[in-house]
Amino acid sequence: MNKTVNINLAGIFFHIDEDAYLKLQRYLEAIKRSFTDSQGRSEIIADIEARIAELFNERVKNDRQVISIKEVDAVITIMGQPEDYLVDDEIFEDEPTPSYSKKSSTNKKLFRDTDNSYIGGVSSGLAHYFGIDTIWIRLAWVLLIFGAGTGILLYILLWILVPEAKTTAEKIMMTGAPVNISNIEKKIKDGFETVTETVGDVAKNVSSSVSDAVKHVDFEKQGNKIKSTSKGFFDTIGNIIMFFFKVFAKFIGVILILVGATSLIALIVGLFSVGAVNFIHIPGLDMIDVVNSGNTPVWLVSLLAFLTAGIPLFFIFYLGLKILINNLKSIGNIAKYSLFGLWIMSIIGLFIIGIRQASEHAFNESVVEKNELYITKNDTLKIKMIGSDLYRKNKYGHRDSFKVIKDDNGNKSIYRSDVRIIVKSTTDTIGSISIEKSADGRDHDKARERAKNINYSYQINRNELLLDSYLTTSVDNKFSDQEIIVYLNLPEGIIANFYKNTKSYLNYYSKSGNIVQQKYANRYIKILEDDIECLNCPIEDDENDFELKVNTPKVKINEDGIEIKADDTSLKIDNNGLKAKAEDVKVNIDANGINIETD
Amino acid sequence: MKIENTKAQMRKGVLEYCILSVLKDDDAYVAEILDTLKNAKLLVVEGTIYPLLTRLKNAGLLNYRWEESTSGPPRKYYGLTETGKLFLNELTITWSELQNAVNIVTSQKNKDNE
Repeated sequence: MNKTVNINLAGIFFHIDEDAYLKLQRYLEAIKRSFTDSQGRSEIIADIEARIAELFNERVKNDRQVISIKEVDAVITIMGQPEDYLVDDEIFEDEPTPSYSKKSSTNKKLFRDTDNSYIGGVSSGLAHYFGIDTIWIRLAWVLLIFGAGTGILLYILLWILVPEAKTTAEKIMMTGAPVNISNIEKKIKDGFETVTETVGDVAKNVSSSVSDAVKHVDFEKQGNKIKSTSKGFFDTIGNIIMFFFKVFAKFIGVILILVGATSLIALIVGLFSVGAVNFIHIPGLDMIDVVNSGNTPVWLVSLLAFLTAGIPLFFIFYLGLKILINNLKSIGNIAKYSLFGLWIMSIIGLFIIGIRQASEHAFNESVVEKNELYITKNDTLKIKMIGSDLYRKNKYGHRDSFKVIKDDNGNKSIYRSDVRIIVKSTTDTIGSISIEKSADGRDHDKARERAKNINYSYQINRNELLLDSYLTTSVDNKFSDQEIIVYLNLPEGIIANFYKNTKSYLNYYSKSGNIVQQKYANRYIKILEDDIECLNCPIEDDENDFELKVNTPKVKINEDGIEIKADDTSLKIDNNGLKAKAEDVKVNIDANGINIETD
Repeated sequence: MKIENTKAQMRKGVLEYCILSVLKDDDAYVAEILDTLKNAKLLVVEGTIYPLLTRLKNAGLLNYRWEESTSGPPRKYYGLTETGKLFLNELTITWSELQNAVNIVTSQKNKDNE
């Protein structure tokens, strides 16, 4: 069963099957596109329609018979394919274009496929030509580019040399399909469906591909050859300039894509590795939890950071794509604005977290524990640092290093080596040791609590003071700039020996009343009132020492002494003493006393 | 170069001349012209002729008149104009010259081959 349509063909009425009607319609449409108005299109079509009506009429036995697809096919066979209508245009061609002949049209021709192009359509053109997928050609280009850039050169050459597939016929030829009605018609239909804008062009292409030859001939006939070539020349220059602009733009596009994509990937990897801390234990990453004194969830911070950095990167990537692919679909305004809003929000979020984090360090409080040091005059006190059993035992001098360590039971704690020793003298007969613990917090109480929670110990073994070289505290206290200052108040007159590993815990300068500086580590020093006396320091060379040697007839200055001679006067100072001589007077100062002689 | 192209080229080259010749003695409508040409195997498909006829008409070599048909739509009867007749005469002379020339050249080749 088939639906029928009534048509009026050149004034004659026909019943025709629907499918047959559609085929006939497409056929006439294709023929119509083969002509331009200047060729008398409407008249030709009218003639053809009249002829088809005549042919149908011959085949219809009675009024009730319906034209089927069989009749339409027969008529098309008689009338010929649309390209057969091109007959007279070709006569003037020097070289017959093979595309217009049915048999040769099965040959593929190499064209640039600008419809599916990234740059110049060379790759997709080659892909059509070799009948493989475009991606392989593109991969080959990428490999060739790494091969000393030969790919770029080759590509540009092909771009210039290979013509672009402009007309429908050329586009069909490019794929190797025969140029016939169904293909042209399919191609036109594709054009309609995909980009409505270009439909006009495509339609024009079909007719212009047909009439191009004629137009060309007309140009030559009218002697306009010079005009057309000069026009061609400037067109070419314009094209070359445009070409370089395009290459440059695409190059920038590629760079943007690469930058955007790689940074995005890096960010995503980062996001997952940080965000997954709670699930997968990665050594060293527990630091984050400890530093995060604001107690903000780590995943939230990383998510906000990811959005803040990632959204601009995404837009960079998108921009690159947009440059490379002309007809890239827009992601839409809603998506754009919501991404922008999300970006602003994550910046604000990070800002707030930053303030919270900073406020955790707003107040610094300290607690002091004071103990007596039983040491009396003329005793010798030895001071030594002791490392942690758990971390960096026997390693000293890394001030401020900050770690999360585990004890044997697996309990985590914060380890820090911010310990300073300040030594002062006291007039008391016994000394004292004060441990000042300090920490940051968002308020006084919090800071004080954290300061109290610092674990620090020392031992006294007879005359030996063993100080911890580190402090520890529970992980819950977070990193809040915990510090230890050990104040040693030593009675005047005692002798102290700071072991050499104390060096980096001592102050370099004598600030805040400190009397023992780094240079006295490993020395025996006597505590004086607000000062010390080094007992076994090498004699300090006077920095201002310089040698002076004068050897003139009148003045001699050397290691032995000074000798100055005038006419009647002389002065001599040496190991023997002082000898001064004037005209009548001699003065000698030596081991024997002062001797003044006059004549 | 494809043999089909050359063949088609040759046929098409003389098509205009033949159309004018068909109409030399009597007016004819398209189907008649087509019959003559198709019988002579000068034409394979009919579509070819329509643009040609239109062009000849536009060039002032042909004119046409409508005639009612008993079976089907009204028919266009084409006839030669005065210009067309002169044009045809010119072409006839050219054709016989060409025929001669081709004969001489091809028979010359044949002799060489023998």
